[in-house]
Parts: sequence; C-alpha cells; structure tokens
Amino acid sequence: MSPPAIAVRDLRKSYGDVVALDGVDLTVPAGSFFGLLGPNGAGKTTFIETLVGLVRADGGEATVFGHDVEREYRAARDAIGLAPQEFNVDRFFPIHEVLEHKAGYHGYSRTEARERATQALDRVGLQAKRDQQFSQLSGGMKRRVVLARALVTDPDLLILDEPTAGVDVQLRRDLWETVTDLNESGTTVLLTTHYIEEAERLCEEVAIMSRGRVVETATPDALMNRGTDRITARLRDPPATAPDVAAGDDRVEDVRMEGDSLVVTARGGGLVAPGLVRALDREGHELVDLDVSRTSLEEVFVDLTDAGRGGLDESTDPEADALTADGGSP
Amino acid sequence: MSASRVQVATLIRREILRFVRRPYNTFLPPIITNTLYFSVFGIILGSRIGTVAGVSYIQFVLPGLVVLGSISDAFENASFSVFHGRWEDYIDAVTTAPMSHRGVVAAYVSASAVRGLLTAVLIVGVGLVFTSAPVTHPFHLVGFLVVTAVLFAGLGVIGGLAATDFDNLTVMNQFILRPLVFFGAVFYSLDVLPPLWRTVSLLNPMVYMVDGVRYGMIGVTEIDPNVSLAVLTGAAVAVFLLNLALFERGFGLTE
Repeated sequence: MSPPAIAVRDLRKSYGDVVALDGVDLTVPAGSFFGLLGPNGAGKTTFIETLVGLVRADGGEATVFGHDVEREYRAARDAIGLAPQEFNVDRFFPIHEVLEHKAGYHGYSRTEARERATQALDRVGLQAKRDQQFSQLSGGMKRRVVLARALVTDPDLLILDEPTAGVDVQLRRDLWETVTDLNESGTTVLLTTHYIEEAERLCEEVAIMSRGRVVETATPDALMNRGTDRITARLRDPPATAPDVAAGDDRVEDVRMEGDSLVVTARGGGLVAPGLVRALDREGHELVDLDVSRTSLEEVFVDLTDAGRGGLDESTDPEADALTADGGSP
Repeated sequence: MSASRVQVATLIRREILRFVRRPYNTFLPPIITNTLYFSVFGIILGSRIGTVAGVSYIQFVLPGLVVLGSISDAFENASFSVFHGRWEDYIDAVTTAPMSHRGVVAAYVSASAVRGLLTAVLIVGVGLVFTSAPVTHPFHLVGFLVVTAVLFAGLGVIGGLAATDFDNLTVMNQFILRPLVFFGAVFYSLDVLPPLWRTVSLLNPMVYMVDGVRYGMIGVTEIDPNVSLAVLTGAAVAVFLLNLALFERGFGLTE
C-alpha cells in the first residue's frame, strides 16, 4: 500500500506568543484532491511552508509520500510542486528560463528542462509570452506562471495556496480545468482556499482549519449533510397555522408558516421533500411551488470556525470577511 | 551527469547569467573606477613617487587594485544575489528544491568567485593600457586570486543571509571592506610603516592577499607567500563551512 501523500502528526509552530500550528493532525491520501479551508490566520500557509522547508516546525512529524520533511528533505521536496499565494518569481530572467531553472534545480538536464518549460507554458497558455519577464505580465498571467513553475517538475504532490485569489472568472475556470486534469492523471492536489465554491466543486475531501488546528475533516457532501436544508412550499390557500405534515420524521427540526409558504427546516432536505409533498396532498393542500435550498459548505464552514462564533479578532484577521461563496471574483 | 550535479550546475549557470547579462552594472564600473585609479595613482602621483620595491609605482599598485576589485565584486555579487533573492522571495525556488545544502553553497560561492576573477582580468586589462603587467609566479598568482575570490564570495553569502535591508549591504562594504582594503598595503609598502603599525597591519587579511598577488605578478613579497596562501585557504574553507552551517540551520531563509 502506497504511503499517503501527506501525513502529519501533532505539528506545532509558534512565532513568539502567536501559535500558528497547534498540534495539526492530517492525512492526505495519495491521488486525492484535498482541500484545506480556513479563514486567514488559520495556519494554512504555515502548514504548507512546513512541508517544503520554508518553516521549521517546533514539534511533531510531517512526511510527504513517506519521506520525513526534515530528515529526508530532498526526497520530500522532489515530490512537491508548490504554487504559493505570493508572486515570488525571479525577475531577472524571461519566464521560460525561470521554469528551466526550476526544472534544473530538480535535476533535469538542460535539454529536458527546456522541453518541460515549453510543455508547462503550453499547459497554462503562455507560450506566446515565453520571452517576457515576469514583471511585464498581467496579474492573471503572473498567476499562470506561478502554476507553470509548480508543474514544470511534474510533481506527485501539487500544492496550490490560494491559487485563484484575485483572478477573473475565466482564468479561475481555466485553472480549475488544468488542475482537475492533473488530478485525474494521478497527481495529488492540496488546495488551500477560502473560496468555498472551489472546495465544493473540486475537492473529494476537505479539512477545516481554525486557529492552528484541524477542526474537521470530511467530504464536502458529508459536511453539507450535517447542516440543515430549507424546504419552502408555497400553497394556494395557506392555512393560518402550519399543518402537522412532518410528525414522526426526526430529520425535521422546524415547521412554520411564512406568508403563503410552509417552511420546513430539515437535515437532508432533498429526502424529506417527497414525503412532505405527499403529506400536503393527503391533507388537501394545493402546492403552487416547491423549493429546496441546500445548506452550503460555507454555512458549515462558518459554523465550524471561529468566524462563525464571532471569535475572530479583526486586528489579527483583517481579511476574515474575504470568506465568500462566490469564488471571489474582483 | 548526476541529478545533484545538474542541480548545482543550473544554479551556477543562473548566477553567472545574472551578472553577465548586465555588463553595464557589473563590468563597466570596475573598468571606469580602475581607469581613474591608474590615472591618478599611476600617472599623476606615480610620476612624483618614482619606484617602490624596485618597480614603478603604477606596477606596484596594480596587484593591489586587482585584489581590491576582485574581492569587492565577489563579495558584492554573493551578498546582493542572496539578499535580493530573500528580499523578493524567489530564493524559495532554490530552498524548496531537492538540492543539498552543500550544493547550494558551492553554487553561490563559485559563481560569485567567477565574477571576482573576471573583474581581476578586466583590471589587468585596464592596467595594460598604462603599464606592463608581468607575471613572475603564475601558480601563486592564480592560487591567490582564486582563494581570495572564494573567501570573499563566501563572506558575501554570509552578508546576504544576515542583511535585513539593502542599507546593511552598503554598511558592510563601506565600514568593513573598504577600511581593510585601504589599510591592506594596496597603495604603500609595509616597509614605510613604523614597526608597531607594521605588526598591526599583519592582522589585516588583506595584507596577505595583496602581498601574495604582488608576489605572483612582480615577484616582490614582504611575507612568505606559501604561509599566506595556506592561511587564506584555511580561512576560505572555514567560511565555506560556516556558509554550510547557516544554510543547514536555515539562517535568514527559514522561519
């Protein structure tokens, strides 16, 4: 059985009095598309930087495909392609040379490195810009270069730290498509984001971090099933009080009238709705419209993190309100 | 070529291309500066000074100017390259790669030493416009130039790792390197100093470098060149090992 792409036990890191990682335990299966969610300041970037050696942990263990990130750092780093949130690209060279250098640092000969750089630029649609320097590119193109640099070494583990922060809708969809293709061809993807739509759409499993800890790990569906859905049934002749149409169904948490609509709050709303329609019909109510509004991952996320409890201090987390479900287009 | 060698060769190539492609910033300044040095010290003052240690004054200062330019550029190249990479974080492409610490240090040091040696060649070239440049002990000449360039490239790496802003690099150059150079017997012979100051001067490593290169070029020496070369080689090895320890600890690179 192959080792997990990432296995972390009790990982700890503090900066003075600030605890960035407070005993993180996490396993990312090989080949998975894994999301790491959390508000700013939750410890996501520190966690990633520990894997690649930019941050040295105070305690705990971290392995990448079975290789300890400190004792066997060369094997661990060889497996990783990192696209960081910040634009940390060498501005002295045209972008194709930046990619060739990165491939060379991973041991690819000049000929191989040149081929890989060409392939990576093709993949992100920047072949025409190959001779330009990073500073001459637009913001969206810069984001593509960072991704291309992560891909140029053909990594087994691709780490994307907020890859779509501040990019337009088209580029975001292009990036999603590229990364999904890579994952389908066997590359493990670790995606950190605070755009919930990305996690819902792309990830097989997500871990939610808050204040340096992993507070939950599950599939997006499993997380959403923990929340309550809202069923709204508009009736032709609405009664004054809510009819007793959900008796005995322990999935139903609340039934009430709102204007001409019966509003039912329930876990697994899609499963509750057919029974509700039949019950309304039995009792002689004529249904005009029915809407089932599923709980969003965002709502579960907010509920699980300190942001949902008003626990985030604005002074330490000025971008907490960046949490959004719309994908964050500028 | 093994993967490890490819990694080191790639970083050396990147480092050398960075300065070769910017000749107006890297090669033109030492040409202009040394043209001025030779004009003032060699032609204007030199004609009044006459001979020193049996050679013309311009020939006497030539080895010192070669050392001065070589070590300054070796130091500046390494310190700038490492610090600029840290400043803009693109050094992360190296530090997150599967390269050995030894390979990374070897690449930064050797590329900057190459810059120092190229500067030495340029200065000799400028000197040839004004005077002849004899080579009486070629092996000592090459040995001293290589060892001093490696030593100051290694010191530049330390500077690049320790600096917290660009002003720090200027301070290192102005307050450490320059005084050592100007009291390093570049422009005068140790014989002209009183005994006390002559002894004090022997604490300055620059004296051994200048004296060694002078021995290699014009055959004049005030200190046993083999002892000087051995001491400087030891210092270069010690600085390389210190570089290695700093990279292994992630000094200036890892949080």
